[in-house]
This record gives sequence, C-alpha cells and structure tokens, in this order.
Amino acid sequence: MPRQHHVAQLFLALTKSIGRQSANQELNWMKRATHAGCLKEMLERRVEGEPLQYILGTQPFGPLDLLTRAPILIPRPETEHWAIRLAELLQPTIERPLSVLDLCTGSGCIPLLLCHLWARGSTRAYGVDISDHAVQLAKDNAARCGIPGVASPHHFSNVYTPYLANVLDATFGDSLPRSFDVITSNPPYILLNEYHQLPRSVKDYEDPRALLGDPPDIPGTDGLAFYHAIARLVARDGVLNEGDQTMVVLEVGDKQAAAVEAILKTEGRLNRTEIWLDPWGKERVVVGRRK
Amino acid sequence: MQTLLRRIKQVPLRPYTRVYSVASTRSIPSRSKTLSVIDQLEQDGARILRTVQTRVEERDDLVASSLDDISSPEDITRAKRVKELEPLKMAWDEWQTNRQLLRETIPLLNDLDPTMRALASDEYTSLIASLSHSLSRTFPSLLVPPSPTIHMSALLELKSGVGGSEASLFLGDLLRVYLRYAQVMKWKAEIVEKNESDGGGVRDAIVEVKGVGAYDGLKWESGVHRVQRVPATESKGRVHTSTITAVVLPLAEEDAPEDELFSMDDVRVEVMRARGAGGQHVNKTESAVRLTHRPSGITVSMQDERSQHQNRRRAFQILRARLMDRKLTQDLANRRAERRDLVQTADRSAKIRTYNYVQERVTDHRLGLSLMNLTTVMEEDGLHEFIDAMQRNHDESVMEEIIQDS
Ligand SMILES: C[S@@+](CC[C@H](N)C(=O)[O-])C[C@H]1O[C@@H](n2cnc3c(N)ncnc32)[C@H](O)[C@@H]1O
Repeated sequence: MPRQHHVAQLFLALTKSIGRQSANQELNWMKRATHAGCLKEMLERRVEGEPLQYILGTQPFGPLDLLTRAPILIPRPETEHWAIRLAELLQPTIERPLSVLDLCTGSGCIPLLLCHLWARGSTRAYGVDISDHAVQLAKDNAARCGIPGVASPHHFSNVYTPYLANVLDATFGDSLPRSFDVITSNPPYILLNEYHQLPRSVKDYEDPRALLGDPPDIPGTDGLAFYHAIARLVARDGVLNEGDQTMVVLEVGDKQAAAVEAILKTEGRLNRTEIWLDPWGKERVVVGRRK
Repeated sequence: MQTLLRRIKQVPLRPYTRVYSVASTRSIPSRSKTLSVIDQLEQDGARILRTVQTRVEERDDLVASSLDDISSPEDITRAKRVKELEPLKMAWDEWQTNRQLLRETIPLLNDLDPTMRALASDEYTSLIASLSHSLSRTFPSLLVPPSPTIHMSALLELKSGVGGSEASLFLGDLLRVYLRYAQVMKWKAEIVEKNESDGGGVRDAIVEVKGVGAYDGLKWESGVHRVQRVPATESKGRVHTSTITAVVLPLAEEDAPEDELFSMDDVRVEVMRARGAGGQHVNKTESAVRLTHRPSGITVSMQDERSQHQNRRRAFQILRARLMDRKLTQDLANRRAERRDLVQTADRSAKIRTYNYVQERVTDHRLGLSLMNLTTVMEEDGLHEFIDAMQRNHDESVMEEIIQDS
C-alpha cells in the first residue's frame, strides 16, 4: 500500500519538526476533522509549515468554535485566557449594560467571547480592523456564534458590529459611533528584528500587518506604535464613558507591559493600572482605569 | 399465567453468590395446601416481616410519645422519622388486612354454593398475589434505601495492562461494547480522550457517559478485565492472555453552584511546556493543562482538546469525579465502621472478568458466574446480563444487611 506508506512518511517528518507528542496530538485532531479534507493532504500542508488551525479551518476560543482563514491572525491561548478573565470580572446586565470597542479585532474573537458569555441584551460591541478580509471573517464568525450585527427591536440580544477603519489614522477618533465603557485590543506588537526570527508557520502564513508593532510608514522600533495611538484616543473627551466599570484592556508582547503601563498613564490619562499574567507566567495584559 | 406465590429465600453460598430464588406455584389450591399458605408465606418472609414489624412498632411508639406541638429539635427529628416510616406503616397495614381477608376466604373455597366457591377462588388468587407482591417488592423497596448516586453520570477510564498491542486491540473492542451499552441504555456517551496505539488498537481512553443511572450501572465494571484469545497478529495460533483495567468514576453535575468537593484555592493549574515569548510570536497549539489538588495530591493532566479552556474544563471534570469517588468510598467505609456492612466495594486491582474466546465463555469472578455468551457480550447487548446480576446481588446484600441489623 504505497499511499499509506506515504502518510507514514509525512507523519515521521511532522514528528521531526514538532516532536512526537505534539505530532500524535495533531494527527488525532486531523483525523477528527474529516470535513477539512483528506488526511494525507492535511499532513502535507502541515509538514510544509502551514499552521494546523488554517488546515482545520477552526480554532476553539473559550466555549466558541471560531473560523480561521489565512492570513488573518489565529486566536491565541493567551488571548483566550484574558478574555475569559475579563468576562468574569465585568458582568453586565440588561439594567447595567456595557458598550465595548475592540480595536484591531481580527477574527472578532475577543468581543464575540464577551457577547457570548455576557447576559443577553447587556452588551453592545464594535470591532475595528484595517483588513477587509478580517472584517469579513469577524462578520462570518459573529453569524456562526449567533451574534447579530445590528440591534433589533424585536428580540434582546448582544450585538457586535465589525467595521473597516485605520486605528493609526489621526482622524480615527472623529468617526467613532459612540462613547464606550470598555476598550479592548490585541494590537500588532512584534518588533521588526524579532519578526525575522519568527517560526515559519507564523511568518509565512499570518498577515505581517497583524503582527508588526511598527508599521512601515511609522517611525519607531519598539513595537509600541499602536499603544501610543490607543492612549491618545482614550485621552480624548467623549471616547471613554465616566463609570466605575470603565476600563481599557490591552494585550502586550513579552517584556512590553511596563512600557505600555507608562504610556497609558502619561498619554492616556489612565491613573490606575494593573498587569495580568498569562498562564505561562508572562506579563500579558495591561489594564487601565481612570480612577 | 399468573404468579400466585413468590417465595423469597436466601441461599447463602460463596460471598457473592447469594440469590433470591423466586419460585412460582400455579396449582389449584387444595384444602390441605390452602391451610398452610399463609404460614408458608410468613415463614419464607419471616425475616423481612420481623424487620418491617420492628420499624412499624418504632413508629407507633414515636407517635404515642409525641406531643401535639413540636418545639424541640428532638421533636422535629422524631416527626421526621415518623414521616419516613409512614409508607412502611401503610404497606404493613395493607399486609395485615390482606392476611385477615385471606383467612376469611379460605373456608369459603369449599362452600356448597358453586358461585360462592368461584368468587372465593378469584379472591384467593388476588390476595395471594398481593401478599407475595408485598413480600417480594413493596417491603424490600421500602427497606432498601434509594441509591444516592442514581442521578450521577459516569466517567469510564480504560487503560491497557499486560499484553502489549493485543491488550490495546482488546481495549478497542471493549470500548465499543461500552459505547453500545450506553446507547442501549439511552445514555449519552462521548469519548473525552483516546490514545490509539500503533497496531490499530487503543492504548487508553476516557469516556463520559451521561444519563440517570449511568454511574450506578457502570460502576460494576471497575477492575481488571482479562482476555484469552489468539491475537489477529499471532501466526502460530497461540492463545495469549492480556488485561485491561477499567475505572469508573462518579460524575457530579458540572455546574453545581458551590463546589463542596474542593476549594479553588487548593487547586494548582499549570500549563504544560514553555512557550517562548508566547502571544503573537507563536501559533503552535499548546493546550495541555495539569491540575494538582494539594490536599489530596490528585493530579489530572488533559491534552486531548485543542483549546486550553476545553482541557481545563475536562480536567476539572475529572478532578471532581475523582474527589467524588473518594468521598463515596469514604462514606461507605464510615458506614461499614458504623454497622456491619456486607456490601463489598470493588477492589480496582482485582481481576473481575475473563473473556475466553476459545471457549466462547465470559466469567465474572465476583459472581462466580460463567456464561457462554461471549459473542453477545462483544457484539450485542450481552453485557447487561452481568451488570444486572451485579446489581441484583448488591440489592440482596443490602437487604440482608438491613435484616440482620434489625
Ligand atoms: C494581532 S491581530 C489581533 C486579532 C484579534 N484581535 C486577536 O486577538 O486574535 C491584529 C489585527 O490588527 C489589524 N490591524 C493592523 N493594523 C491596523 C490598523 N492600523 N488599524 C486597524 N486594524 C489594524 C490586523 O489586520 C489584525 O487583524
């Protein structure tokens, strides 16, 4: 049976690249995802370096099962972890609803998780991305999760509206649909010199615009361009609501937490800050509050 | 065909082979027989009847000594006990009434009037049926407490033991048996984790079986299962012996509001493997999770799901099941220390069953029961014969224990 021989060879190659245990697990997941195609093809793509999540076409995120589509960033477990923590921290109700703005929304994973976990009719969320493919994926994911894009007077539901815009644009803040209680973001934060060292499955498959913290047209090498822009945004009058639940929650890269904390304090006028660790013990999230 | 008389009899054999043999007589009553029918029933059910009577007397004493207004905690306990014993009192009254009626009916069986004789004979038949039903069903069901775990779902863990790839092949076979059994019982079975072995078998697997009675039914499967057969891979036709171990754990309701089994502060949650910079830098799936429950030292690792959240949920589910299992075992041990408890707990390292393919025979070593039904066990629903026998055996032990205690 030459065909089987081939699968075995591919599997061996995968074992060499990601280790025996991971290869075993991934093989199991591929076998289970029969809808995604034939095993041999999946293995071929994986051995080439394509991320498993693109091959399978989905990635679980908390209780959600989201679509993944190259080159839009695959939701990470670190993001899943803090998004669940945030969902547990704030528990809006119909009587005490929250408005959410997710900057650099990508697949829509963060606001969709909040909309899913929070009480019906308690959440009005928006998402912004510069990539129309990302906006489309976010819409598809919202539909998949049963979260509508427009509020309907006929039934209570949480609402999530992703739209196309450039967060770094100086005029971005002028066109916001409303003011917000919570602003979340997992903006691109990788440094250019780190970018070249990234594993192929990241560098060759995921959108560089989703990863690079210093976009080509912006000066800077510290990967913090988006944090400066976000801090300036939230400092503007009428962007953040006055309320005891009001907060800005930003994911950061390895060793960036202190710098981002400083940016939020000085440029963002958020006096009270807090750092959350990820499951691997890394400083992963900076939370800023006005008071 | 109607069962006129059910005799309940206890035949003490080896520890696990106590049985209630239920015999039925269908003969038309003759005078000499009829006279002794009540005596016969009372003699056979003597121990149960004595137990019931003691309880009813206890209730009557409580009623006699209780006051109209309930004030002290003792009064409340007493009132509760009276209420508990109410169904037994009613069943006892019914038994007494039927017994009296039967005494009055017997002389009429030989009445000169044929119409009267026919009526009496009908009456006689139905009274005997009621009396034997009281003895064989009503009293035992009121004496044996309802299973406290009846609503629990089960977590079934299968691990291959000795025998290498043949053990894994057999594990795969047994896994199918349990999945089919769950289906027949209308339980919902879901494979939580499954590690396939190179030879096409399954090295280990965890199955969640949801539904009322799932734990009570499957718990009898805990222990070592031994298979004797010629493996598909054996060219010389030699019989191999290999084993797999089954552990069945009780699954408490997942979203029970307050966890009485553990406090979150006692659980350490660890993610496996280092992840470098993590976040956007890495897109390799790292979803494995390990929990350590410090007070008990129980650790649970879960890596079969693609997200950490799912693995964490699964791991907590398994931790809860292990802790619940400990609690139940502890409860049983306490009970045993309190009263002489004949109900045996499964020793998980003990060999419970042998599947002999050559002889088409399945033997349950606890029951001392061998059935030539290997094919129906492996391919159809033959398993229920063993599970039912274990359940019956258990109920009888409980009954016996209750009778001996009173
Ligand atoms: C790291 S990804 C985060 C995606 C998603 N929020 C998540 O956590 O998986 C960053 C996203 O920001 C978007 N992006 C990059 N530059 C942007 C800009 N100037 N304005 C708005 N979105 C931008 C990218 O298209 C990408 O989807």
